[in-house]
Amino acid sequence: MATDVIRGLLERSFPDGTINVVDRTGTGDHFQVSVTSGSFNGLSLVEQHRLVNRALAEPLGNGSIHELRITTKGTA
Amino acid sequence: MTLREQIKHVIDTEPVAVFIKGTPQMPACGNSLRALQALHKAGAPVSVVNVLPDPQIRQELSAISDWPTIPQVFVKGELIGGADITEELFASGELMRKLDEILGSDRDSSVKLVAV
Repeated sequence: MATDVIRGLLERSFPDGTINVVDRTGTGDHFQVSVTSGSFNGLSLVEQHRLVNRALAEPLGNGSIHELRITTKGTA
Repeated sequence: MTLREQIKHVIDTEPVAVFIKGTPQMPACGNSLRALQALHKAGAPVSVVNVLPDPQIRQELSAISDWPTIPQVFVKGELIGGADITEELFASGELMRKLDEILGSDRDSSVKLVAV
């Protein structure tokens, strides 16, 4: 899976987001994603990560993402 | 008890419950290792469940926690996150504060394997 696809899914869920996606291993299945978005304001870290997991539910569910590292930040 | 009830029981009764791929001696995944290491550094007593023996464990766990990935760390029945958040909370000192508050500062940092 290409980083562009992951980025596209995140952009759809976080239109205001500053998004960075890195293929950690060069194998298209271990990703580090960083998202800064107003959607995270006032949410706990668990809730923030849930939003990212939901945005990527399909590739997470079908196994095309084997490992996902997430960093989130609000804008407030 | 059904499998879901067993998993819930572990989450609700163990002070720090960690669901990982593999065992504490031999974690089968980098993120499971990262979570265990952060907890170890924070001096947490951990009760570890290996999700690998039965795919149903992971399915039921994610249904309970609304969290799709492994590892999952629970403190006093509450999901605190996966490897990234556990590391983040350790780095900020919040994990230590939480553990001090709940278990006291002279807690033992034992590791036990729990089967479901």
